[in-house]
Amino acid sequence: MKLTRRLMISALGLAMTVATPSFAAAEGTIAIITPSHDNPFFKAEAVGAEARAKELGYDTVVMVHDDDPNKQLELFNTAIGQGVKAIILDNAGADATVAAVQAAKDAGIPSFLIDREIKESGIAVSQIVSNNYQGAQLGAEEFVKLMGETGKYAELLGREADTNAGIRSSGYHDIIDQYPDMEMVAQQTANWSQTEAYTVMETILQANPDIKGVISGNDTMAMGAWAALEAAGRTDVIVVGFDGSNDVRDSIKAGGIKATVLQPAYRQAQLAVEQADAYLKNGSTGVDEKQLMDCILINAENADKLETFALAE
Amino acid sequence: MRAMTAILGLSLAVALGACKIVPNPEPGSENAASQTDEDRMAAKAAEVYDSQLVPYVSGKAIDLPVLTSALHGGYEAAGKAHGIRPQAEGSPWNFLVKGQGTVIEANRESRAATLTLDATGDGQADVTIQLGPVIKGTALRDSADFIVFTDYRDQIEFAKLARALNDRTHAAITLPEGDLTGKTVRFEGATTLRSATDPILVVPTVLDVQP
Repeated sequence: MKLTRRLMISALGLAMTVATPSFAAAEGTIAIITPSHDNPFFKAEAVGAEARAKELGYDTVVMVHDDDPNKQLELFNTAIGQGVKAIILDNAGADATVAAVQAAKDAGIPSFLIDREIKESGIAVSQIVSNNYQGAQLGAEEFVKLMGETGKYAELLGREADTNAGIRSSGYHDIIDQYPDMEMVAQQTANWSQTEAYTVMETILQANPDIKGVISGNDTMAMGAWAALEAAGRTDVIVVGFDGSNDVRDSIKAGGIKATVLQPAYRQAQLAVEQADAYLKNGSTGVDEKQLMDCILINAENADKLETFALAE
Repeated sequence: MRAMTAILGLSLAVALGACKIVPNPEPGSENAASQTDEDRMAAKAAEVYDSQLVPYVSGKAIDLPVLTSALHGGYEAAGKAHGIRPQAEGSPWNFLVKGQGTVIEANRESRAATLTLDATGDGQADVTIQLGPVIKGTALRDSADFIVFTDYRDQIEFAKLARALNDRTHAAITLPEGDLTGKTVRFEGATTLRSATDPILVVPTVLDVQP
């Protein structure tokens, strides 16, 4: 329902743009397509991209695919039909998205991808993604330090089908596994979900009451785990997350969760728009298609500088 | 894994009442499509390491004092003059560096073994050489201008490549047994620096103990 409403508003906005050319931006329209804004991470992307596009003189259409590749393809067809100048996309699947991006390319509309990759290069103009491997290693180094290099811990994994779940886990283990006194007693998926993480954490706690730390594949699962630990009176357990959400920032500031890793989602979305602008004006972005953006460790020292997936200078 | 599959296959065969021996698959008989990311990237690392990467580092490495004095002039300036970095906003500079120094600390017990060198004769640490088996970071991969992320399927593959190159480095290191403290060591290698004051942590492509 929500999507339908958003779409209708988007379509209405577009129709108005066409109907009232005196108000239309000179540079044309950029479509911004992401997963559901229920997750503040994706909302930050949309807000960042939209703000930059407006600054650069574009109109915007903001749409959500809810991680449904079919819906995403429909949105692409809509955008193609409307004749947008470029598409900024956080996609709904590394394999399934290839066809949608190819369709836009065939229609002469360049796509600029953020956050998630697709499994082909040469179809999108840019693919700008967080360096999840580097970020996970940062988080793991902090986790090991907080654990005093020793003790029992659990790992919460993201959704198995998601590339980022695997890469973060391997980044964590490339660091943690070199410390022989760090003992993983549980490794379970909570599918990126806060409520699932709560339940999983409860079960892990029952089986391993002597647990000392939890390293989580993202912040929403870290929040779920922390809630379960709090409910069990186990606020001594060290929790480290990944993403850099405002929720985890607030928990860090309140002495709850100990650390997270910021993905520069807001800047990433802005950068994609800048590259779209450069491409539309000069026929080239001037940089490689695939770009890895480094992540930043967030702990009590810098948490108060974090706001909506961006770190103040 | 292979052994497990064989055992599983065997027990299934027994369970089915057939007296059939399931042979292990012949090593090297898999085609590229059935290889894991890890295997493919290990093969890629093997292909480029000796033939391209080692000579590339030798050809481009600057002397350690050149790097340290450039860093005194500021991180960005040093990077622009001598560094290599991927074309992505916020990427740190990587440097290829060579030199020699006296071992002032040898940590060979850790999985992340290191040698710390004094290169200026003041008794202070100037550079730390990573020996592995655990080698941190992606300095080798990211300082090679012929390795480009766009050419790889995704981050997983690209991370495995970095790891495989680090593994090659560890495998290539041959050091005499015993305490190396006080010995002179010559090195060439790559380092990633995130600021001018970051400790210089080198992944070596050349490492010799001088007689």
